[in-house]
Amino acid sequence: MRSLTLHLKILIALCVIIGVSVTAYQIFVLGIPVSEDETDNLWNIDAKVEFQANPREPVKLHMFVPPLNQDYVSLNESFISNNYGVSVNHNEDNRRVTWSARRASGKQTLYYRLVMTKRYSGEQIKAKGSIYRESLPIEGAEKIAAEALLAPIRQHSADVETFISETIKRVNNTSDDNIRLLLGGDTSSERKAAVIDLLLSIAHVPMQRLHTIRLEADVQQSPELWLRSFNGEKWLYFNPQSGEQGLPKDRMIWWFGDEPLVSLDGGSKVAVTFALNNSEMNAIRLAKLSNENTAEGFLDYSLYGLPLQTQQTYQIMIMIPLGVMVILILRNLGGLQTLGTFTPVLIALAFRETQLGFGIILFTIITTLGLSLRSYLEHLKLQMLPRLSVVLTFVVVLIAVISLFSHKLGLERGLSVALFPMVILTMTIERLSITWEERGGNHAFKVAVGTLFAAALSHYLMSIPELAYFIFTFPAVLLIMVGFMLAMGRYRGYRLTELFRFKAFLKD
Amino acid sequence: MFGFGLIKTWRELSAKGIMGINRRNADYVLKYNKRNLYPIVDDKILTKERAISAGINVPEMYGVISTEKEIEKLDSILAGRTDFVIKPAMGAGGDGILVIADRFEDRYKTISGKIISHEEIEHQISSILTGLYSLGGSRDRALIEYRVTPDPLFKSISYEGVPDIRIIVLMGYPVMAMLRLPTRQSGGKANLHQGAIGVGVDLATGTTLQGTWLNNKINKHPDTSTLVAGVQLPDWNGFMTLAAGCYELCGLGYIGVDMVLDQDKGPLILELNARPGLNIQIANNAGLTLRTHAVERHLAELKSKGISESVEERVRFTQNLFASIPSQ
Repeated sequence: MRSLTLHLKILIALCVIIGVSVTAYQIFVLGIPVSEDETDNLWNIDAKVEFQANPREPVKLHMFVPPLNQDYVSLNESFISNNYGVSVNHNEDNRRVTWSARRASGKQTLYYRLVMTKRYSGEQIKAKGSIYRESLPIEGAEKIAAEALLAPIRQHSADVETFISETIKRVNNTSDDNIRLLLGGDTSSERKAAVIDLLLSIAHVPMQRLHTIRLEADVQQSPELWLRSFNGEKWLYFNPQSGEQGLPKDRMIWWFGDEPLVSLDGGSKVAVTFALNNSEMNAIRLAKLSNENTAEGFLDYSLYGLPLQTQQTYQIMIMIPLGVMVILILRNLGGLQTLGTFTPVLIALAFRETQLGFGIILFTIITTLGLSLRSYLEHLKLQMLPRLSVVLTFVVVLIAVISLFSHKLGLERGLSVALFPMVILTMTIERLSITWEERGGNHAFKVAVGTLFAAALSHYLMSIPELAYFIFTFPAVLLIMVGFMLAMGRYRGYRLTELFRFKAFLKD
Repeated sequence: MFGFGLIKTWRELSAKGIMGINRRNADYVLKYNKRNLYPIVDDKILTKERAISAGINVPEMYGVISTEKEIEKLDSILAGRTDFVIKPAMGAGGDGILVIADRFEDRYKTISGKIISHEEIEHQISSILTGLYSLGGSRDRALIEYRVTPDPLFKSISYEGVPDIRIIVLMGYPVMAMLRLPTRQSGGKANLHQGAIGVGVDLATGTTLQGTWLNNKINKHPDTSTLVAGVQLPDWNGFMTLAAGCYELCGLGYIGVDMVLDQDKGPLILELNARPGLNIQIANNAGLTLRTHAVERHLAELKSKGISESVEERVRFTQNLFASIPSQ
């Protein structure tokens, strides 16, 4: 007995632990949304490239496109062009598309469209980069100015991070003569970035330029220049204008390096305009979409991998254990008397088709009439099988009559009674009448009310869409339920009704 | 406050050792009663055959009819008998039982005075065979047996029907006893949830204690208004020995043994129940758990010594341990 108890405890612990950890893995590692209402932003980015093609000359246009190894994942990517060949190459961190045509003339328009969203799986790519570089060549007055600037920067900084932000702060202080000399009257971001690059190179601090797009709908924008440096562990991002550190959440890296966004052979007047808009999308659909576009396939082995129609069936089926658990609690903890264990769950399923209120009325009417027929048949002393057949036929006729009446009265509800509830009703009538004979009418009534109550409660719980979604998406929850059910199997305490039943003991 | 009251009730009940359904099922029925032995108690014919071969007193079996063809044998079975009982082997709740008290001309007279013909008896047997009274509606057998005449002692405290004695037996040790008296409400049946009253019986002496009726404590029979307490049951040790011997008979460790006291033959076993009810606790004003735990401790002690006790030793053990204080 003792070893059996230990065995059971281990089994329960195992069920609960596996259930909890699988669910936690799904939620925290795979990032599957906990509720169906959760929506996520879906970004639609269009880059429009316009240029004037030179007549009688082959056209070749390179443009950077986002590398997509960041926090964002592409759901769909398309290169829209007429009569152009398209190829995408990766080099280092960048991706670059090449459009080419042998002959084109006049104004040309090419589109690059990217639909993307936040990445669901938080798998981080290990950052790597160099932490040392050679100084850029520098001479004369500029060298003196640079050294004059670096001395206080060194003094005011403790590490690479503070060194860089101190440098950026100094470079942006245009009242400083040394800075003015280095900038040479040009205060654009590019020029400033070049000066910062120069200063950092003297200190052997590596620095890389990167260009970002701001994820903001319906705003005119061009790529914004940022700087980044590797400190041995991770990349540090800096804004060359303000010295602000860290890339804001709404920035998306388009390309790295000093090269311009587009380069064109065989054309002129190239211009790129960006248009962004966002839409919201049901989170799980989004997860599914991004799943199709990534190799991870974390939803492949979930129930979402099933065909849609099968999924709908499973969405109902997977709720049955919950219904059974409700009945278990009501019976073994509450002491509610019901017709068997499964009849209330089956009735609850039948309520799905009839709706709750109407279902209860229908159930009561048909059961009452069926029971009176059954008690009449009792007088005829029929055998069980013929008797059941008569009751079933009667139930069919009754349902048909009710449907007809309610249809004539304009209540379409009446027609909702389908095949499934009919069999359940017949079974209920038969079992109820057996209870009636064995334990009397009072008890049968109590059992019928108990069954209806249990059915209504489990129907209510089974039809909460949030709960249905949760269990369908995280089926490991069922294991936790099994753990609970196993524990209930050894529950020895009183049932709630027994506290009233044995009240007589306390009246001394 | 309501919830607090419930917790208080819970504590008091468990201090008194009152057994709930969950505990009965988990610790006793599931633990001591093997499923494959259930047919022995579910089928009254099997129970009777086992009892006869074990030398335990049961109402004498006149005959068994298991096929339509065998109905022809009815005449030879009934030859020379004026009173007998016909019952389904697997019936429940007393349905389908026909009690013949006398013969009248060529016909039979039931206990309630109704005259029926031989054909009607045959029809009744045929109905039993088709499973009209058996629980799942499966085919059944008809049992023809001795009619019990209750001891006249019970006439005064009983309304009608046959009162019976239920003793709960754990591994051969009687732990609690109750006398069940039919009432007008129960329709002559000795079933507590049909409205019969239960009267606790002191295991040591066989005198009745207080009663229970529909979960309440009572002192008087609702139909006859006589006091139910303080009645000495005759041949009490006979009942105790009979009940204790049922463990060897059926192999089930936790049973309710239903017995009657026949005017001529003394204590007889009527049937066994593998899931005895819990109202016996109200009738005895005592919790079953305390008693079953005491027996289980005793069993563990015996096991460690490697001995087992005889029926008489078991009866003596429980009579010493569970003697009730005389009712106030």
